[in-house]
Amino acid sequence: MEVQKEAQRIMTLSVWKMYHSRMQRGGLRLHRSLQLSLVMRSARELYLSAKVEAHEPEVSLQPARSPDPRLHPPREAEAEAEAAPLDGEQPSPEPMDTQEAPRAEEAPARGAPRPAKVSRKRRSSSLSDGGDVGLVPSKKARLEEEEEKEGASSEVPDRLQPSPAQAEGAFPNLARVLQRRFSGLLNCNPAAPPTAPPACEAKPACRPADSMLNVLVRTVVAF
Amino acid sequence: MNYPDESTYGNKADIISTVEFNHTGELLATGDKGGRVVIFQREQESKNQVHRRGEYNVYSTFQSHEPEFDYLKSLEIEEKINKIRWLPQQNAAYFLLSTNDKTVKLWKVSERDKRPEGYNLKDEEGRLRDPATITTLRVPVLRPMDLMVEATPRRVFANAHTYHINSISVNSDYETYMSADDLRINLWNFEITNQSFNIVDIKPANMEELTEVITAAEFHPHHCNTFVYSSSKGTIRLCDMRASALCDRHTKFFEEPEDPSNRSFFSEIISSISDVKFSHSGRYIMTRDYLTVKVWDLNMENRPIETYQVHDYLRSKLCSLYENDCIFDKFECVWNGSDSVIMTGSYNNFFRMFDRNTKRDVTLEASRENSKPRAILKPRKVCVGGKRRKDEISVDSLDFSKKILHTAWHPSENIIAVAATNNLYIFQDKVN
Repeated sequence: MEVQKEAQRIMTLSVWKMYHSRMQRGGLRLHRSLQLSLVMRSARELYLSAKVEAHEPEVSLQPARSPDPRLHPPREAEAEAEAAPLDGEQPSPEPMDTQEAPRAEEAPARGAPRPAKVSRKRRSSSLSDGGDVGLVPSKKARLEEEEEKEGASSEVPDRLQPSPAQAEGAFPNLARVLQRRFSGLLNCNPAAPPTAPPACEAKPACRPADSMLNVLVRTVVAF
Repeated sequence: MNYPDESTYGNKADIISTVEFNHTGELLATGDKGGRVVIFQREQESKNQVHRRGEYNVYSTFQSHEPEFDYLKSLEIEEKINKIRWLPQQNAAYFLLSTNDKTVKLWKVSERDKRPEGYNLKDEEGRLRDPATITTLRVPVLRPMDLMVEATPRRVFANAHTYHINSISVNSDYETYMSADDLRINLWNFEITNQSFNIVDIKPANMEELTEVITAAEFHPHHCNTFVYSSSKGTIRLCDMRASALCDRHTKFFEEPEDPSNRSFFSEIISSISDVKFSHSGRYIMTRDYLTVKVWDLNMENRPIETYQVHDYLRSKLCSLYENDCIFDKFECVWNGSDSVIMTGSYNNFFRMFDRNTKRDVTLEASRENSKPRAILKPRKVCVGGKRRKDEISVDSLDFSKKILHTAWHPSENIIAVAATNNLYIFQDKVN
């Protein structure tokens, strides 16, 4: 439990740092972003391995549900606002995270079958309970299934360090939320105006970005 | 070990971000966060002033880089000087390269101690004379004037880096130099500013697969075809430009297997190499990661030949250091002129020297309170155990805001320059 709390704390801290690194003078630093994403991944792995060992029930998800309406407007507004300061080249740490969710899904051989079963079981139960509705809206469910199928059929490139399968098994939601958040930003919403002086966009970006951070923090806390 | 003398030049308005002696040690350049370069010159030793054995005084100050704004990406480009590298002197003028995150500039620093006087068409103040009043013709003559040191930008090498420049290195051919950012290294000719050759590119086709970045790069001191670059994964690659135009395939790959007993949550980020330096001999390379300095033999790739613990007592504090961002600090390391001693910085304004031959090491502190001019620096010690002796400082009392990231060692003498935030300390070895 201590380990889990610590891992959660570090994940939250890392997200906060990632967010703040965007505001830094001189722009997003690639090396820093990479390091933050590495720590986040380690924290996640630690959290999950601790969780699996502790056999914790999924009850912990319940108190952390976010209502749907909060997610959609901030996500859209924030995606547009945040697409602006990002340039096409900015790789940011998020790709690391986005890559891991499908990749971990792709590697069932690596982990024990039990976590995989747990994930399927939990997803259905959580959807029915509505516990994760806030994090996994129903219209996205089909997309996730498609991703899983795609993921399962493709090979796992060796580039990234292997992440345990239980990472995906018990952890689908954070990964997906992060993936959705940052893929959307990275895939560069073409409609978003690319340039705006930082002074101007600081104000409109503040509010939706804060909501994003709140959601992310809530997401991390959810586990 | 040395017990150096000290002269301090303090109160810079901005934080010093780079320090570099020139090839003779006569000049010492510093760059700061405000984009300024300050050059110090060593006083000629004179018989009259035996006590002032070659102190360094300000020689020239100029604004190298200004803050810029990239409108296309909506990004501000910091004016902070990341690195300064001197060119070897070939005439009366001095040349140096200074770089910020995006642009490298070649500066010429020259002296002017004569000025022409006696113009025909202008008066002494420079105003044009009425042609009707000019009745005689004379030749202007050069007359002595107060020494003026002027710095002029001779070349600007811009728009070649998408990511942030972390290193520049002058080639031993003195015709080319390289600049390295997180993912690419470019080779420049000093005479050509509108193009450069890309010699290393580690950007993956899919940025989502990015796992490591380039952290530092340097040319071999004698072989103009050889250079090394370090990565965030703790590896060093040595490349030979004769092998191919694009040096994506290394000639040598230096990596030490990880010690499993040291594996921790933050292992990956503390193994990132923050600086790499060839020895003067060209036989060794030295690397600095967060907790150690390592010396590698170019002929042995599987492990370093020497490892020095800089501040191992921080290993148990990595989580706190992550919280306060100190874990991301990039320390540099330097060789002395004979490659027998290496030096690097730490926290609490401490810096460390390691004698490679005697295996002795010392911790010294750069601070005004503890040093007066011509005072001998006292070795410091950090207490790691339970009982703290009188002179020791406990790990929890260390001031992590006082960090020494940048140091320099005179090429031939025991004179060191230590940058402590916005103060520059110059220590000289005691005679006899």
